[in-house]
Amino acid sequence: MRRTLICALTGAVVVAGTAAAARGLSGPGTIRITSREVANTRVDVGNKGLSAGDLDIIRERLFNTRITPKAIGHAELVCTYTIKTSRSCQGTFFLPKGKIVVGGPIYFHQLYELAVIGGTGLYDNVRGSVTVTATSSKPRREVIVFRLTV
Amino acid sequence: MLAARTAAPEGSFRNRIASLSLATRAFAASLVLAAIVAAVFAVLVLASSNLRAATKREARAKDVTVETLGLEKLVLDIETGVRGFVLTDNERFLESYRQARRNLPAQLATLRRLAASSPGQAQRARALEDEINAYISDYAAPLIQIARENPPAARAPLAFVEGKRRLDLIRGRFTDFLKAEDTEATASANAANRRAQHAIGLGIGGLVLSAGLIVGFGLYLARSIRRPLEEVAQGAGRIAAGDLSLRLDEEGPGEIGALTRSFNVMAEGLQRNRSELEAQNKKLRESERLKSELVSIVSHELRTPLTSVLGFTSMLVHRDDVDEASRRQYLEIVDSQTRRLSALVDRFLDLQRIEEGRLELASEPVDLAVILREQGLLYVGPSERHRLRVRLEDEPLEVVGDPERLSQVVGNLLSNAVKYSPDGGDVEIDAARHDGFVRVHVRDQGIGIPESHRPKIFTKFHRGDAGATGISGTGLGLAITRDVVEAHGGRIDFVSTPGKGSTFWFELPVGDGEAPGEEMRGG
Repeated sequence: MRRTLICALTGAVVVAGTAAAARGLSGPGTIRITSREVANTRVDVGNKGLSAGDLDIIRERLFNTRITPKAIGHAELVCTYTIKTSRSCQGTFFLPKGKIVVGGPIYFHQLYELAVIGGTGLYDNVRGSVTVTATSSKPRREVIVFRLTV
Repeated sequence: MLAARTAAPEGSFRNRIASLSLATRAFAASLVLAAIVAAVFAVLVLASSNLRAATKREARAKDVTVETLGLEKLVLDIETGVRGFVLTDNERFLESYRQARRNLPAQLATLRRLAASSPGQAQRARALEDEINAYISDYAAPLIQIARENPPAARAPLAFVEGKRRLDLIRGRFTDFLKAEDTEATASANAANRRAQHAIGLGIGGLVLSAGLIVGFGLYLARSIRRPLEEVAQGAGRIAAGDLSLRLDEEGPGEIGALTRSFNVMAEGLQRNRSELEAQNKKLRESERLKSELVSIVSHELRTPLTSVLGFTSMLVHRDDVDEASRRQYLEIVDSQTRRLSALVDRFLDLQRIEEGRLELASEPVDLAVILREQGLLYVGPSERHRLRVRLEDEPLEVVGDPERLSQVVGNLLSNAVKYSPDGGDVEIDAARHDGFVRVHVRDQGIGIPESHRPKIFTKFHRGDAGATGISGTGLGLAITRDVVEAHGGRIDFVSTPGKGSTFWFELPVGDGEAPGEEMRGG
């Protein structure tokens, strides 16, 4: 069942279409994609240097290399530094059949987990988590695994 | 077999079956049995093949389990190595990780190969492989890198939680894979066991059926052979006891039918041979009787004239007081008896010639009227008690034949007419042409012929009651007469009334005035 849903989801991120997007997920599932960071802009707010309130604005291209070498979407995250290197982030993953909105704290940017707090289209009102593991730093690449519940 | 049976329609199935020989029936039964045994054997072979396939499947399941456990161990080695390195930052822990990664492709290939024969397992194996590869590429390898760059990040609880999540997923895949393998192996074994059970059942049934057919056919053969053989044996016993009229029912399978038919042919042959032997025996007895009669007749007929000849010649030799008249009278008697002996011998010779087919007849125109007159005067004229009456047409009664033999025929009939009418009376001769024949009647007023003697009146040496009544004769005259008449192409018969006389008649073809130019041969 889980594998079936994974296939459905991975297929779904490739095929565009508003009609399909109108339907929501019918069960839990996992989406595995990769990303390549294309932009990382730090906004120094307040004290000079890294301090609470500074912002990282990150833009990534999303891939599912098992299906196509081309980007299937992109992600935008905004992280606000809270204490030392800890950040509170919010972001949106723009996938072919909908958007997934995530949010939560990040302590280590090499490996972190955010909560899935909603979505649109196929991912309308989804919940769950997303685990991001950095696989390289220059350019920064990540493995992104969504574990979704309905 | 001896009883009559209702015949089945010609060409019916039963008839066709009945016409089959025992050898054909045995061959057909052997074919049926062979087919049954072959079918049973085929089922058993199929079941054995299924069991062998199930055994192979079970062995493969064991191999799959071993390989799966080996793969699981490799995954655990990877996990252990990564965890050890992350926690201790000691590269030594990565040795097991690297070793496991080196062995992993071959192990995965082996599993793929083992699972290839089952589409479901092949799919599960691919999923398991994907999961392991994802674990390594998405988690283990990055985590080692993270541990080198930022050990605290790699030691964060999330890292272990993520690792556990992924391992749990992989373990779940392993469990599913092994369970499915076990299920398939069990199903295969169960199916093979069921087929084996069915095959054993069919085998037992087939063997029982075969045994039943063998026993049944044996009983059938015993019944088909024993009963007819017993009847043939009984029949042979009855025939040996003399009952040659016995016939067996010729129904029965091939060889049995042939046996009973041969038996019946043999019985018919024996019966025919016995009839022929009885007929020959009867002829022999009759011949013996005739021979005895011949000896008696010949002895009697020869003795009487010989006695006269011996008596009178002795008297003439030993007595001197015989006057000339008496001497002449005695010599005439001797002459007469000698001629009688000569005639008797001639008759025997004629009879022998006739029986041997050596009677030679002249073939020349003969006027029967002349013969009738001459023979009438010769045989009847001398008798004082008989009157000769001859009624003939004026024209000649010509036939073609031997005048001496025809004279003998007429003489015999006239001699009998005189002999068998001892009280005298008329002896009538008449002859006339009739339908291309000249028919001659010789009629007397004698003692006639009893009904019981008529069938044998033309038989050699048959004299009826003549011997008892003192009438001389050999019993050959009429036999020779009939043979001579028939040798001339004619026929002879008689009518008679006991006490009133007999009429013998014969007829010969009318001659055309020309002799055929060759001799006739009688007998």
